Amino acid sequence: MVSAMLQILTKQNIKTMSHLLEIKNLDVKFDTDEGRITAIDNVSLKLDQGKVLGIVGESGSGKSVTAKSIMQLNPGNTIYNDDAEIIIDNENVLKFTSKNDLKKIRGGKVSMIFQEPMASFAPAIKIGNQMIEQLLLHKDIDKNQAKQISVDMLNRVGIADAEKRFNQYAFELSGGMRQRAMIAMALSTMPKLLLADEPTTALDVTIQAQVINLMKDIIKEYNMGVIFITHDLGVIAQVADDVAVMYLGSVVEQGPVNEILKNPLHPYTKGLLNALPDINNLDAPLQPIPGSIPSPLDRPSGCVFRTRCPHASQDGKEANIEMGLVEVKPGHWVDRCGVDCRKV
Amino acid sequence: MEISSKKKEAYYTATQMQLVRTRFFGNKSAMIAGSILLFMIVCSLFSDFLSPYDPTIAGRDKDYENGAPQIPMFWDENGFSPRPFLHTLTKYRGADTNFRWVYKIDTEKRRYVYFFVKGWEYKTFDFNINLPGTAFDFKIPGFSNDLHLFGVKEGGIHIFGTDKSGKDLFSRTLSAIYISLAVGTLGVFISFVLSLIIGGISGYYGGWIDSLLQMFTDAIRTVPPIPLFMCLAAFAPLEWSSELRFFFISCLLGLISWPTLARRVRTHLLSERSQEYILAAKMCGASSTHIIVRHLLPSFTSYIIVDLVISFPYMLLSETALSFIGLGLREPVNSLGVLLQNATKADVLLNYQWYFIPVFFLVVLILTFVYVGDGLRDAADPHKTKH
Amino acid sequence: MSENIISVNNLSVSFDYQENFLSKKQQIKAVNNINIKIKKGSFFGLVGESGSGKTTLGRAILGANKISTGNVIFHDDDRDFDLTTINSKEMKEYRKKAQLIFQDPYAALSPRMTVRDIIAEPLEVMKITNSREETDERVRDIASKCRLNLEHLRRFPHAFSGGQRQRISIARALVSNPKFIVADESVAALDVSIQADILNLLKQLQHELNLTYLFISHDLSVVAHVCDIVAVMYLGHIVEMAPSRELFSNPKHPYTKALLSSIPSIDPENKSKAIELEGEIPSAMNPPSGCVFRTRCPHASHDGKEANVEMGLVEVTPGHWVDRCGVNCA
Repeated sequence: MVSAMLQILTKQNIKTMSHLLEIKNLDVKFDTDEGRITAIDNVSLKLDQGKVLGIVGESGSGKSVTAKSIMQLNPGNTIYNDDAEIIIDNENVLKFTSKNDLKKIRGGKVSMIFQEPMASFAPAIKIGNQMIEQLLLHKDIDKNQAKQISVDMLNRVGIADAEKRFNQYAFELSGGMRQRAMIAMALSTMPKLLLADEPTTALDVTIQAQVINLMKDIIKEYNMGVIFITHDLGVIAQVADDVAVMYLGSVVEQGPVNEILKNPLHPYTKGLLNALPDINNLDAPLQPIPGSIPSPLDRPSGCVFRTRCPHASQDGKEANIEMGLVEVKPGHWVDRCGVDCRKV
Repeated sequence: MEISSKKKEAYYTATQMQLVRTRFFGNKSAMIAGSILLFMIVCSLFSDFLSPYDPTIAGRDKDYENGAPQIPMFWDENGFSPRPFLHTLTKYRGADTNFRWVYKIDTEKRRYVYFFVKGWEYKTFDFNINLPGTAFDFKIPGFSNDLHLFGVKEGGIHIFGTDKSGKDLFSRTLSAIYISLAVGTLGVFISFVLSLIIGGISGYYGGWIDSLLQMFTDAIRTVPPIPLFMCLAAFAPLEWSSELRFFFISCLLGLISWPTLARRVRTHLLSERSQEYILAAKMCGASSTHIIVRHLLPSFTSYIIVDLVISFPYMLLSETALSFIGLGLREPVNSLGVLLQNATKADVLLNYQWYFIPVFFLVVLILTFVYVGDGLRDAADPHKTKH
Repeated sequence: MSENIISVNNLSVSFDYQENFLSKKQQIKAVNNINIKIKKGSFFGLVGESGSGKTTLGRAILGANKISTGNVIFHDDDRDFDLTTINSKEMKEYRKKAQLIFQDPYAALSPRMTVRDIIAEPLEVMKITNSREETDERVRDIASKCRLNLEHLRRFPHAFSGGQRQRISIARALVSNPKFIVADESVAALDVSIQADILNLLKQLQHELNLTYLFISHDLSVVAHVCDIVAVMYLGHIVEMAPSRELFSNPKHPYTKALLSSIPSIDPENKSKAIELEGEIPSAMNPPSGCVFRTRCPHASHDGKEANVEMGLVEVTPGHWVDRCGVNCA
């Protein structure tokens, strides 16, 4: 009796140890002239403090839309489903109605860095002023303190002459420096959750390496939760602890990065890895995934990958399957349809 | 939502112009504005046919000066009539009215409105251009007609009332819309030709030619338009005929507004010029003519049409403003500005409110142009986000 | 008949730059003293980051950029074309034989022309065919080689995905039956699964049509897989050139080594940190004197003697060329 009660109590305890971010059953649709487009279908993700979740996908996969949904940055014609939940630090962001609540999330608990650094800095305002502005919005400090924090942050991200750069405009910095400045700006409010949307894609390879090293150090130092979105599997392998593979708005495979990259189970993940040129294996031929990514207007019914899957059956029964993740090995989740084709 | 494969194929094989047209037709407000605009333009083109009276002094009704609008009715205390009619008015002055002229309504005598009646004579397709000197004189004898849409056998039918000399306001308004549109069209055309040449050379060649032409364009743009208009318009001698004046004002409008359009043309050209598909054509050795005709011109046709439509309201407003001050078109020529000029006096405001009816038409005309222009711009540029 | 199809000798390409009407004219040397020989039938890779001059070099070889010093010679079957002394008639001939595939599949196709017209444009401009039927036949022929559905020829570019558009671009480049193709970042804008498809197509076309490619890219993994010889560029100079296997297994120049180590490995257990290069890529307007890489080189000596070295390639092992300054630090 006592042991049974203890079991119940410990189960409850484990339940209350909440995740930093939890997305449950998220559907995102856009109402456009051409009709209702499904951008994300039944996505569920979890992220803990101090961990990096990589989201990998090609164009149309919905990875950017996922990140923007967390910050509620999607355009006005977005439709969320009623039973979806995006829980950050125990608050459901989708239920927020007032601007003040959103303000807490945006820049406060959650920060975002983008692919195009030129686009996130206003061209006519000095970088320093932009950094101070967002600090003053979220923290109860005065201008001088804000300036000190910002300059320290610029130093921390490896920008030499931080004081001088603080007073410069965005166009005076090179691409790599701008990206670092954006990281500094995002981190200055000490967010718990960092969303990084293709932060290194627009950078040269050597600069990319510098920025990745920087991010790895900072993530460890500040113990943030990070969602790292990219199409580059190599970057994911180096930065992420867990990875979710998305295709046309659905998560097809999810799990620890070692496991997914070494033992991919879904045909799409396998296809992606085979299509990649690996510099350590120059003899392997490049195997493209046949066909092309369908337009979101033509989203296939049932299993979205069936139009390109090498294991698709002749009778097209995959059109009627309902997608959903199944735990194949501890921590390694694969979409139902992908599980079945292993048996082929 | 299932889209049939036929529709998809139609989308894939649609040219840019077809896509723009489809998008425009889907825009409700633009379509409504467009139909109203089209209706007004057609009415103005047929203004002589639709007007029961000659809008000039020749058609004035001496018996009904400063008269209130007369709306035909179908029913009065004497019963219903399928044919619309008006009551007769008699002018009366007496001690009880303080010896002011007043109109008494006689409800017994009905005057029926007839359709397709014969009325005053007017000419169609009659061009008579009489510029200084004899070199550019141009005369096409039109053919005359005297059919009108509606009229009455005795008395007058003045749907919008009359002004102080008895001229029918309805006819004047219709003719004014036509003249204002004509001036606007001519002005836009002149502006378009100039901006195409100057903006085109500037944008296509770039370099120092561009810098020079841009300095010239900006110099013209910095001159404030109203004083410039006023100065240039004041130069027009009073003895010029009304057609000459009309031509002169249109040219003036075109000459003052080309810089804005030229800048737009140049911008379009500069951005299109550096597109990769143009470079691809150049690398095959395509000549300048080929690039201009095959690539550049089609690329900005839709933009230029939008720019033209959007510049129309500015032309209309400029002409109205000029005529309103008295420097543009003058009596006897009708334009909306001329009509508005009559509406400035205080006793008009108090007693003859129907003088303001042309204002309503001016506003509607400008708004419809703006909505159509906006709709065209939205249709031509699908990359901008809505919401 | 030379075994090389392109010989580039001491080529430099400079651009005039003038900030505005009144400021001084400056010269930017985008490409500096390049010497390469591209063999017939090879897949020559040109790798570099921004500011390396690789695009300028590619376009100079095609005659699209003006050559400042040195020359470029195209060795055709029966005669040679020297791009510095070429006249307009010969230029027309040259253009038929050497073509360019662009990077951006969305900007490289005119949205107002059907696919058939886009592919046919080079034929019409260069007056290669005499009748519409002949043009149509050649268009259909090359379109099917590029695996384009012939029914789609009536469609406009907005109907196609990135990968399909790139195939249209390739078809357009190949329709005039060229011998030499410059592919400038042709797969950079494509998704990974489509990249592989286009690269395989390029290889296949090379065998079918006997082409020589100059493949320009910033993505080393891609270049490693498809190219047989690779040259690495930095700020207008070639710092290393070797057969691709040799280059990637045995890099000698510090820049090449840093580039290779920067590629994030797909093996998550290989968490080795990249060789971090100090600082940023210098501006092309103000390159460092002597060895241009010295401002970031981990082997740069304290006395700055590299500022006086004259750059130039030295053959370290047969076929493997390294810049003089890099040889010493190896």
